[in-house]
Amino acid sequence: MRKQLHAALLGAALLMSVGHAKAADLVMAVKAGPASMDPHFTATAANADAVKHIYDTLVRSGNNLELEPSLARSWTPLDQTTWEFKLRQGVKFHDGSDFTAEDVKFSIERIPDVTGPNPTTIFVRRVSSLEIVDPYTIRIRTTDPAPSLPNDFVRLFIVSHKAAANYSTRDTATEGFNSGKAAVGTGPYKFVSWAPTQDLVLERFDGYWGGAEPWDRVIRKEIPNDASRVAQLKAGQVDIISKVPASDVPVLEQDSSLTVVKNESIYVSYLEFDFREDSPEITAKDGAKLDKNPLRDPRVREAIDLALDRETIVDYALEGLAVVPTQLVSSNIFGYDKALEPSKYDVDRAKQLLKEAGYEDGFKIRLSYANDRMPMELGPTVAQMLSMIGITVEVNGIPAAVFNPARTRGEYSLNMGSWGTLTGEANYTLSSLMHSYAPDHGLGAYNVRGYSNAEMDRLIESAGAEMDTDARRGLLEKANDLVASDRPNLALATLLTAWALKKDKIVLTPRADEDTLAMNIRPVE
Amino acid sequence: MTAFIVHRIWQALLVMLVMSILVFAGVFLIGNPVDVLISPDATQEIRQQVIAQYGLDLPIWQQYLHFMTSLLQGDFGRSFVYNMPVSELVASRFPATMELATIAVLLASVIGIPLGVYAGYRPDGWPSKIIMAVSILGFSVPTFWIGLMMIVVFAVEIGIMPAGGRGDVVSIFGMPWSFLTIDGLHHLVLPAVNLSLFKMAMMIRLAASGTREIMLTDTIKFARAAGISELTILRRHVLRLISIPLVTVFGLELGSTIAFAVVTETIFSWPGLGKLIIDSITSLDRPVMVAYLMLVSLLFITINLAVDLAYAVLDPRMRQRGGK
Repeated sequence: MRKQLHAALLGAALLMSVGHAKAADLVMAVKAGPASMDPHFTATAANADAVKHIYDTLVRSGNNLELEPSLARSWTPLDQTTWEFKLRQGVKFHDGSDFTAEDVKFSIERIPDVTGPNPTTIFVRRVSSLEIVDPYTIRIRTTDPAPSLPNDFVRLFIVSHKAAANYSTRDTATEGFNSGKAAVGTGPYKFVSWAPTQDLVLERFDGYWGGAEPWDRVIRKEIPNDASRVAQLKAGQVDIISKVPASDVPVLEQDSSLTVVKNESIYVSYLEFDFREDSPEITAKDGAKLDKNPLRDPRVREAIDLALDRETIVDYALEGLAVVPTQLVSSNIFGYDKALEPSKYDVDRAKQLLKEAGYEDGFKIRLSYANDRMPMELGPTVAQMLSMIGITVEVNGIPAAVFNPARTRGEYSLNMGSWGTLTGEANYTLSSLMHSYAPDHGLGAYNVRGYSNAEMDRLIESAGAEMDTDARRGLLEKANDLVASDRPNLALATLLTAWALKKDKIVLTPRADEDTLAMNIRPVE
Repeated sequence: MTAFIVHRIWQALLVMLVMSILVFAGVFLIGNPVDVLISPDATQEIRQQVIAQYGLDLPIWQQYLHFMTSLLQGDFGRSFVYNMPVSELVASRFPATMELATIAVLLASVIGIPLGVYAGYRPDGWPSKIIMAVSILGFSVPTFWIGLMMIVVFAVEIGIMPAGGRGDVVSIFGMPWSFLTIDGLHHLVLPAVNLSLFKMAMMIRLAASGTREIMLTDTIKFARAAGISELTILRRHVLRLISIPLVTVFGLELGSTIAFAVVTETIFSWPGLGKLIIDSITSLDRPVMVAYLMLVSLLFITINLAVDLAYAVLDPRMRQRGGK
């Protein structure tokens, strides 16, 4: 009896699975999904990746993070602290209403009322006031000169001031947006359904101002487990997967029915040195306290730099899914200095430098990092390389939930992380990581290890206020040079990201920020 | 009996209280959840605003007091990550896990117990040897590996089963269920079998050893002497006598399967509670952690209570003791 039932079930199931997803449907599996359909609730990259289908921004970041007009046709600085945005006319929301300056004002002003523990206020923090000149012109005043305001705005999503009017408090916003009532944007796809960690279902918006998309429906599945994502692609349940694990790339490349697309990401992995006089996790080899922090000595930092064989790190620790870095930002970032060379691996010179600095016998240090965020083999590889010049490294890989708070408390002497330059311009990275800790100016917020270099601060501050594009690029390149020569951080690898997709069904144009957008996926002709 | 149940309810409340204190203390020791959730480029001022907004700058006892006050009004608070009421979040995941765990434990019992009884009844036959050998495999091979192998074989190579997800669901009382649609059942098969293997092995071994022991007792000898058929002996006497440990294990396993099916849920992308709790731990989503662990405590205590009541039904001796 059970056998019969089983057979019947199987047969029926087979029938069901054939043609389950229609040809004009696109099924994607991403590693991380959104946390809310309210685009102003959280600033995570995964949330932006998802909601970009539904909502547009004034300024858009292109495939290589170049700024492109979107809901704003153009933007010009009127003076040091005023930007004027000219808005696109004839843009419709999904409910048929017209997009105007009112929606921009509403979107910016609702952010403080609805945003959560990862606040999107970071994208509008420079805005002091705004003025609607006419329905398609808006002027934005900033607290200080803000040349990178358009870069900040690539994550400022515009919602409908009519649809979201009653869903803009902390208690009502999530329900209003997740249920779809307020999830009304101007983007290429309309919201159909979503619940936390479950499928995001989208439907084509035929009235999209940029021309209708090829897919009737888009289903974005959130599958955090790497092996499961790969299995679902191989089983044909999904058309494309993001963030293919490095170890699976060669296997999937062998599969004739699949295409693997690799692209340089905006993430650079780095080592970060503690600059405080009294550093907590660094001692002599016998555990005795050192009279000063060796990491403050530039020769020690250079020795560590020279001891790290980046080629081996890239080929072995990162299994080829990375390239050798020259600086803290990737090559697609505004302010990347093309002239910089990678560090030269030289153990003898490294030993020599340590000797000159008075650490011929080396010292003992703990290397901490979030083992659920960083590539698994990176920590041990770095430890082994440093042992070659006599530095004993105790590897301390712990969950991000433990690592991040402890790092903020300043408990580490040497830590490892990855930083993505999300806005596409280097000042975003440098002002957080490299400027002295200056709460009054909102600078150096991530620099809790006491690094302070007057020249660096000057470059970052000038770049932050320089309205001339070329001059600003020059300042940022100089700042990147200074990072490379002063070595407060050492770039270990520029990470690549990989997608795998069905060769006979779709083609993908990859994005540097790792977003997996249906708008970048086209059916095979 | 009423006194017994009231006593258990008090016990449940106490355990839940202790659990909530443990979670608060644990998260406090780890550090500020904002440091896990916030973008690294957030300025110092924005970080302070967020900390104040969520009351994370208050002394820990005040934070706990706030939590308890709203809990007494039936409010578990909102998830840091999703900004949804925690009760809603847990309720939305509960059916998925509930049906997966129930089917897995039922499968384990319906298949495991008869096999175990047979293996204990004829311990020297070759089928029994095979059953016992396979049950050792069920114990010792890790669930995640078997799960992945099942996906590779049935989903990728043969292609008759989905590699994951929940399939179509039907809403009953506003809750989505998979086991009522064919597509949903299709998606349920692999994860349910995967989840049941370990439990099935345990059921087999428990049933086999219990049966072997009881087959040697005088009860069985006399029953045989009285001319009762072997099948009736097995059904009426053996199964009855070995049922107490089996029910205990069934109860405990049901509880732990519902609470911690995370490995299977992760591999098969099953949107259940196990994934929710792991995600909430990795993001220090304290409201979800607290609510979830309190509910799990309640679940275990309820199941244990049900098991105790089942003893009374199964074993007259216990019934008498309870009735006193």
